[in-house]
Amino acid sequence: MKITLFEQAPYRYLPDDFEQHHESVCSTPYSLTTRDGVYSSVRDFLDELMHGARAGFDGVAVTEHGQSSYDMMPNPDLVASALAYMTETEGLDVAIYPMGRSLGKAREPLRVAEEYAFVDVVSGGRLVAGFPIGLHYDAAINNGIPPVEIRPRFDENLELILRAWSEEKPFPFNGRFSQYPQVNPWPRPLQGTPPVWITGLGNPRTMQMCFERNFGFNYLSWFGAKLTGQRIFDRFWELADKAGVERNPYRVGFLQTIAVAETDERAEKEYAEHLEYGFRKGLGSIPLEKLAIPGGIDIRGVQALAKDPSDFGLYLQMRGASFRELVDAGVVICGSPATVREQVGDFCRRYGIGNLHAMLNFGSLPRELTMRNIQLFAEEVAPSLRELWRDSGYTHYWWPERLGGKPTAPTEGGGATEGAVDTDTATRTAVHA
Amino acid sequence: MTTTESTQPVISEESLAVWNGRLTIRVKVAGAGPPLLYLHPAAGLAWDPFLTQMAEHYTVYAPEFPGTSVGNPYAIHAVDSLPDVVLIYEEVVRTLGLTAPVVVGQSFGGMLAAELAATFPTLPSALVLLDPIGLWREDMPVANWLTTPPDQLPALLFHNPANEAAQAMLAMPDDPDEAAAATAGMVWSMGATGKFAWPIPDRGLRRRLHRIAVPVLVVWGREDSLIPVGYVDEWQAELPDSRAVVIDDCGHIPQVEQTGETVAAVTEFLGQPRKVAP
Repeated sequence: MKITLFEQAPYRYLPDDFEQHHESVCSTPYSLTTRDGVYSSVRDFLDELMHGARAGFDGVAVTEHGQSSYDMMPNPDLVASALAYMTETEGLDVAIYPMGRSLGKAREPLRVAEEYAFVDVVSGGRLVAGFPIGLHYDAAINNGIPPVEIRPRFDENLELILRAWSEEKPFPFNGRFSQYPQVNPWPRPLQGTPPVWITGLGNPRTMQMCFERNFGFNYLSWFGAKLTGQRIFDRFWELADKAGVERNPYRVGFLQTIAVAETDERAEKEYAEHLEYGFRKGLGSIPLEKLAIPGGIDIRGVQALAKDPSDFGLYLQMRGASFRELVDAGVVICGSPATVREQVGDFCRRYGIGNLHAMLNFGSLPRELTMRNIQLFAEEVAPSLRELWRDSGYTHYWWPERLGGKPTAPTEGGGATEGAVDTDTATRTAVHA
Repeated sequence: MTTTESTQPVISEESLAVWNGRLTIRVKVAGAGPPLLYLHPAAGLAWDPFLTQMAEHYTVYAPEFPGTSVGNPYAIHAVDSLPDVVLIYEEVVRTLGLTAPVVVGQSFGGMLAAELAATFPTLPSALVLLDPIGLWREDMPVANWLTTPPDQLPALLFHNPANEAAQAMLAMPDDPDEAAAATAGMVWSMGATGKFAWPIPDRGLRRRLHRIAVPVLVVWGREDSLIPVGYVDEWQAELPDSRAVVIDDCGHIPQVEQTGETVAAVTEFLGQPRKVAP
C-alpha cells in the first residue's frame, strides 16, 4: 500500500466559542486572526510536510480551499512547488500530490496544466495530479461559478488539460467555458501525463468516469468512515464489476484522520481537544447550504439524500461532536500504534484500499505534537501497513514511474456530468449514460 | 396535447420542440381570450390563484424553463447563455403562434420578461413585472436565495409566512417518496434558473431596458426581503413608459400573498380585454 502524509493548513488559534458564532468558510471574519498566528500556522504546516517527506512517507498531499479558516490553501500548487524543490534538493523519493486543483472551480484551466507541468519538472517526475470536482462553496461562492456548471466545467477543463499535456502540436481550443487560439504549454510534465486522481464524495457518475477513463479515485472520509465507508466502497466496487474493471486496490485512495501516541490513554489525553477543535470549527462549521447549493448535486442525488442523508455520515452533527462521537463514527482513529495499525489495516483490507492518505495534523494541534504524530506513524504504523497488497499480484498503474509505479495513460470515456450534452465544442468526454 | 382537470380552469399541456429540436419546452395553457405569457420564478412553475384569475380573461401560456420540467432535468445543459435563453423564449412565442401577448414575469421570470421585451421590442403588447430580479445596487443587495437555509426560505419569500396562501404554496406531499421528489425537483429548478442569475443576478439588463417599447407595470411587495422595494425606482428610472404599484403587507410574491390587490393592479393596468365568446 502507498501511504501519503496529508495535511491541511488550519488556523490554529480560533476562540473557544468560534463554532457558536461563525462559519468556517466564506464569511469567517479575518479579524479573528493575528499576524503571528497566521505565520506559524502556515510555516509549521510546511515544516510538518517536509518532516513527513524525510520520515519516509510515499507522498505528501494537500488540497485546495479558498476563503477557508480550516485550510488556508487557496492554491495547493504553491505548496506542491515548494515541496517539489525541497525534496528534490534533498534527494527524497516522495510523490508530490496536490489533490488538488479543483476543475469545477478553475476559470483558467490552462494555468492549471502549466502549474502541474512545472511542479512535475521541478520534482523530476514525481507529481500525482489530483483533480477534485470542487466543493460548492469553493467553486460557486469563492469563484462565482453557477453551481449547475461545476461539473460541466470540470469535464471541459480536464479535457483541455489532458490534451495540453499530450498533443504534440499546438492546437486551438474552442470550449464553452474557455477559448484559446493556441494551446502549447512550456514546459510539459516530465512524465508526459502524470497519474490522474479524482476526488469524489460518492456520486456514482464520478466513480464511473474513473473506471472508464483509467483515473484513480480518492474518497476523503471526512464524514466518518464507519458510517459511510461500506456504502461508498460497496458502491464503488459494484460499479467496477459492472464496468468490467478489475478490483485493483491501487485504483482507490482513502483519507483517514489519525492520531497516534504511545498508548491509547495518552493518545486520547493529548489529541482529543485538538480533534474536537478540528472538526467542530472546520467541517462542522460549514453550513449545509454552502456545502450543497442547488444545481451542484444531480437531481437524483438530491432525491436520494432527501430520503436518506447517510452519505453525509456524522456531518450534520459535527458542529458539536465530542471526541467519543468522532471516534465512534470513524471520523478519527486515535490510539496506540497497535490500535491504529489494526483499525486502519482492517478497514483498508476490507474495502480493498491500496492508497492511504494519513491526515496527521488537525485543528489546533501544535507543531510539536504534529511532528510526533508523524514520526510515530512513520516508524510504528506505516511499515506494516505498507506490506498490505504487496503479494496481491496487482500492479499500481496510478503512481509515478520514478517511484515504482507502472502508470498507464488515461483512456476515452464519459465525464462527470450526468445528462451532459455533447456539443460541437472540444468535448471528447461526452457522456454516454 | 394532454388535458388535465383542475378545480378551475382546465389546464392543458403542450410540448414544443424548439432550438432546432434540441429542446422540448413544456407549456401549461388555460383560459380563453387574448394571449398572456407567464414566466415563472426560480423555483419552477406553480399554477396559483393569480393565474386562474388571469385565465378568466386571457389565454394563459406558462412555459417551463429548460431543466425545470418533471422528467427532463438535463435540458438545462443544452442552454449555454442568457442571450440563447431569450432566443429560445422568442421561439416558444412564435411556435405557439402568439401575437402581441401580454408578458407577465415573476422574480426570475420578471428578468426574463424584461430581457425578452428589450431584445424583441415589438413582441409583447404590455409587460407586467412582479418583484423582478435583474438589477443590482451594492447598497441594496439582492438576497442569495440559493444559499438561504431551507428553513429560512419562507421568511425570505413572504411577509407573513403563516398566511394561508403562503402555506398552501409551501406545503409538501405527505408521502416521503413524493416529498423527496418534490424537494429534488424544486432544488434542481433553482439550480437550473440559477445558471443565469449566479453569483449576482445582474447580466447587464440595466443597459438594455431603454429598448423596451411597451407600457410596463412594476408591482412590488413593500416588505420584499429578497429584493428590496427600493428597486422600483431603479426600474422606473430606466423604463421609457412605466407605472408602479407597491402593495402593503406583502413580500416577494405578491400574486400569492396579496392575490386580490395584485389582480386588481394588473387588471387596471391592462384595461378590459375584449370579450371572448365562450
